[in-house]
Amino acid sequence: MTSTASPRLERGARSLTRSRSRRRIPIGAYICAFVLLVVFLFPLLYLLNTALKSQAEFVSNPVGIVTDPQWGNFTTAWHKGDFGAYILNSVLYTLAGSIIGTLLTLVLAFPVARGYIRGAKYWSVVFVLVLFLPNALITQFQLLLRLGLYDTQLGYILLVGVGVGVGPLLLSGFVRSIPRELDEAAAMDGIGYWRYLFTFILPLARPALVTVFILQAVWIWNEIILATVLLADPTKFPVTVGLYAFKGTYGNQWPLLAAATFIVAAPLIVGYVFIQRYLVNGVVGAVKG
Amino acid sequence: MTQSFPFPRRMPVRITFGLGMLLLGIFGFVPAVGVLVASFTDLRGIPGLPIDFVGIQNYVDFFSPAKWADSANALKNTIIFAVASTVVQIVLALGIAVLLNRSIKGRAFYRAVVFMPTILGVTVTGLIWSLIFNVSGGPAASVLNLFGKHSAFFGDPKLALALVILVQVWMVIGISVIIFLSGLQAVPEELEEAAEIDGASSWQRFRNVTVPLLAPSITANVLLGIVNALQSYQLIYVLSGPNNRSTQVLSLLVYVQGFGGASGTTLSQSQGYAAAVSMVQFVLVAIVSLIALAILRRREAKL
Repeated sequence: MTSTASPRLERGARSLTRSRSRRRIPIGAYICAFVLLVVFLFPLLYLLNTALKSQAEFVSNPVGIVTDPQWGNFTTAWHKGDFGAYILNSVLYTLAGSIIGTLLTLVLAFPVARGYIRGAKYWSVVFVLVLFLPNALITQFQLLLRLGLYDTQLGYILLVGVGVGVGPLLLSGFVRSIPRELDEAAAMDGIGYWRYLFTFILPLARPALVTVFILQAVWIWNEIILATVLLADPTKFPVTVGLYAFKGTYGNQWPLLAAATFIVAAPLIVGYVFIQRYLVNGVVGAVKG
Repeated sequence: MTQSFPFPRRMPVRITFGLGMLLLGIFGFVPAVGVLVASFTDLRGIPGLPIDFVGIQNYVDFFSPAKWADSANALKNTIIFAVASTVVQIVLALGIAVLLNRSIKGRAFYRAVVFMPTILGVTVTGLIWSLIFNVSGGPAASVLNLFGKHSAFFGDPKLALALVILVQVWMVIGISVIIFLSGLQAVPEELEEAAEIDGASSWQRFRNVTVPLLAPSITANVLLGIVNALQSYQLIYVLSGPNNRSTQVLSLLVYVQGFGGASGTTLSQSQGYAAAVSMVQFVLVAIVSLIALAILRRREAKL
């Protein structure tokens, strides 16, 4: 798990400095890296380029570099698409869903990893099963319908919240790196289980929990099909559905559509710069677990 | 295995664990098991209608001549999509990971850029690539124009699936790259050096030293790729719509059958049938992953 990853990384770093002193500048590698940058950044730059064009310029010259930037496209798209409301919805779903999922992961994975619950071996099988459930679109819809939670924000949040994915597996792996003696010492001092779980384990397992949180948050933020099926009222749509609906309405006005897409993408890219490290560690940890 | 329990009372553990499992059970496992049950009924999307057990009728329908054209089409697309996107993704990801494992400046930046589409999500990714493959004057169309050709891209039945695979690879390749990179860092430099001294060319070193040591990462990537590709349909939904026959995969068929989208057909709203399609897909995922796992494990053991 995460603990075994760090010495490997160190070794990698050491061998890297060694090879750096030996090799000359690898020109071929830089050319490949440049191609890579173009492949991954060109689409975004092209999006921005289109977003800044007027409809007339797009029609007469769709591919060329923008000559007269129309910054007003962004405000027009923002108002026409009502993206403020959609983004707020998405933030609500993402935060609430990920908090539920992370708390679930904590209260489920810790006692199972420690064997504090009867049948811990079978419960850890359950954590693996969660990953391989069938596509339950139909019954998720029926369940919410029958519970009276169809087209409610609560219903959608609960369904995305239980989508814990690799979370419990990831955390039970991490919990094993926390010494059992700590539990015993805390218990000796008369600290109860709940207080121990939330004031000792929660901060100690923070790296793993942050990863669990972010992996789930990324999933919820991107979710579109469940939201399409479970929510009927447009004022409850997350931004993914909102943007898709915007495409349906303004599909032929590419500059406006590109501006709307950019509005949705920009906060993600900015946020990505900050959480990048956790995400990368999370993927590595999830696979090793 | 009941371990010694240090805390004074067991009740708190049971309460939070029980509540957690209850939540996971109701909203996670009940729908999952429910799909199996629903697949044997004539459940419909409109509430209040009576529900009857119809045995295996939905499965018979799936393979019946009347529906086989649609079913076979979706099965075929699902398998092509899963296999092609997994293979392309792994080959390219391995190449990129080897490149980024070299001592070039700005490696962390390149890595971050390659991983970025994961965070953009399906809607943004889908719209960006719809713009690029815009039929009237998008950049892809302009390039084709230079050669005096033109294409309908996602509207072209022969091309649509290939393009969807391309975008899928673009979107998820970052994860594979990261997995390979962490695997590469575990390959001891000494081994490569020893092979170099023995006169192995760089391709031979890659083929006979690096790749075998990467076997666990390859297993992880193949499984992740297959499971993801067999279940992912959100991108296809955004790129070419739920009803495009040339890109319709099983999970989209579930969506279309269960929640309409196909206009005015009596087939739509038949959620029992849609549940049966989900189960077919589930069995397919299970079989393909188990076969892949068996092959990869045997290869790992051989090395």
